[in-house]
Amino acid sequence: MADKSKGLSKASEIYQNRSHRVKELKAEGKKIIGYPCMYVPLEIITALDLAPYRTYGDIREPVTEADRALPTAFCPIMRTCLDCALKAKDDFLDGMVAIHSCDPQDKTTRVWQSYVSYPYFHLIDMPGTLRTESLEYFKGQLNDFRKTLESFAGKELSSDKLKAAIELHNRQRALVRELYKLTKPDPPLISGTEMLQVIKALMSLPAAEGNELLGQVISEVKERTGGPEKKPARLLIWSSTVDDIDIMQLFEAGANVVMDESCGGIRAYRADVKLTDDPLDGLTHYYLEEITCARTFREAVFGEARKDYIADLDSRFGYLKGFTREWNVNGAILFLVRYCDPFAFEMPDLKDYFDHLGIPSTYIEYDYTQGSLAPLRTRVEAFLETID
Amino acid sequence: MYFAGVDIGSTMTKIVLMDTSGKILSTIKGPTGPEHRQLANEVMKMALEQANLELDDISYVIATGYGRLNVPFADRHITELTCHARGVSSLFPNVRTAIDIGGQDAKCMKINSGKMVDFVMNDKCAAGTGRFLEILATTLGIKLEDLGDISLKSTKKVRISNFCTIFAQQEVVSQLSAGEKLEDIIAGLHDALASRVAGLVRRLKIEPDVVLTGGVAKNAGIVKAMKENLGCELLVPEDPLLTGALGAAILAKEHSAKATAKGEPIPTRPRRLEKATFFSKETG
Repeated sequence: MADKSKGLSKASEIYQNRSHRVKELKAEGKKIIGYPCMYVPLEIITALDLAPYRTYGDIREPVTEADRALPTAFCPIMRTCLDCALKAKDDFLDGMVAIHSCDPQDKTTRVWQSYVSYPYFHLIDMPGTLRTESLEYFKGQLNDFRKTLESFAGKELSSDKLKAAIELHNRQRALVRELYKLTKPDPPLISGTEMLQVIKALMSLPAAEGNELLGQVISEVKERTGGPEKKPARLLIWSSTVDDIDIMQLFEAGANVVMDESCGGIRAYRADVKLTDDPLDGLTHYYLEEITCARTFREAVFGEARKDYIADLDSRFGYLKGFTREWNVNGAILFLVRYCDPFAFEMPDLKDYFDHLGIPSTYIEYDYTQGSLAPLRTRVEAFLETID
Repeated sequence: MYFAGVDIGSTMTKIVLMDTSGKILSTIKGPTGPEHRQLANEVMKMALEQANLELDDISYVIATGYGRLNVPFADRHITELTCHARGVSSLFPNVRTAIDIGGQDAKCMKINSGKMVDFVMNDKCAAGTGRFLEILATTLGIKLEDLGDISLKSTKKVRISNFCTIFAQQEVVSQLSAGEKLEDIIAGLHDALASRVAGLVRRLKIEPDVVLTGGVAKNAGIVKAMKENLGCELLVPEDPLLTGALGAAILAKEHSAKATAKGEPIPTRPRRLEKATFFSKETG
């Protein structure tokens, strides 16, 4: 029997009851800062001795309250996030930092703040392309965020403290990558479902505690017998957000998910923040250029009249080539949340890119409700039958 | 040896029994009914009776379709996409694109050398499916099976701008009160359904031969509207309802042959020719 107080069991317990630890910390006097998107630089929050906490919606909770504030044909993730906030599910938060990674988030968090009124609220603006001017502008935005958070925390943020926080979070990134190495064997040593529980636990804990949990999980997984069974397909999931194990189990009924390229998977941990003289430079570069969310468009070259299609696809999706080869992926599911325009626009081109790589792929759309998952079973099964 | 394909759709249950040579011994179509999975055994009994066989005579049973998960006398379930693709390619060896419009879904399969390589399906909505026609036939007070022939009389089809079944119902009522002819309205409805399905199908690159199946393919007005919307010829099998069950029976035969060739036993499961009583999603 596994020790419930550490490793995978602990991750699963935190997954079930995500706010337990931050509520304890709050009782000890720590301030809790919510964030709805992985583009928020957690290093700045950690460095000011505040606890970051990723806010999520809930596929099991019918959206009722958010209807008075948001249109219905609109990002269902932001709708359920706001709905949960209006139902006071995250009422322990002392503040909220959002970022203009996409329009629904930008607009919803403004509504969110006007309804909920956190003691601290900051909205970071963010460019959508990678021009030279983008970096300069984004650095200014991060600096503004740092200043408002310093004033909320009542202390100044030294360069050394920020560097230490970057190192701490980089350590977390390295540990997650180490854990992902354990999905390389066939069968993988850890399932996609377990991985999702671990990643969501990390987003519910202060970084140092998350690192401790990761250390335990890695040694447990390396030593254990009786991991996932071998299935006929090794899947890569590409999505904006996969945040519920019911979704993962839909895929894992007939396949092993070995790579989750979403913000419930490797996306926030794929690269490291560079340690630069001014630590904000490293953060600016990392958050704008290194995170591979569809919200940033990565053309191969700007200003050309004619583009080479495959070169352009390589520039936008090249990182997936390494994943498919190193993890020996033989199928990709492009899992689209309805009304998520940035991901929907990438879909046809990304499907072409997987064709180019010789990896069968299918795209599946869902509306971020638990009830909509069962009918998707046929699509997933039919796709796996084509790989068979 | 004998093989069975059981296709439990949202509206109709279809069964094909076949022997080792591929000869079809019986084909049965029965209404699925509201308790659909509970009727599958009755339809199976009819099919067995027609072929003068017992369930134990059947070497391998594959269930497919919307209700495939809980067929207590099936050895295996395979999705209707794979089964339709297999059934269609046995009837039309040159098929590259197969479109199936059923009672509650529409799907398109790309087929290469008889094997499904890609597919799309409609989302959870009645638009672009047989249900759209069923509901609108009721609104117009016309039998579903008469829609096709009436629509072929149309000289000037009415443009129906709503794909949504409920809104289309309202639109039809207002067109009727504006004095539009019934045949022109029905032709307009067929066009609305066809353009919705064509939009779905175009997500995959359409290559000939293109085959149309499913209960809706029995409607001549829809076949005409689909040809116009896709701008290509369409082949329709003699019995467009049966391709899923046919594919399942062929796959049952092929999977058995594969197991036998490897010297393995045919992977049957304990079967019960009775009503399904368990509805757990874990089954299968």
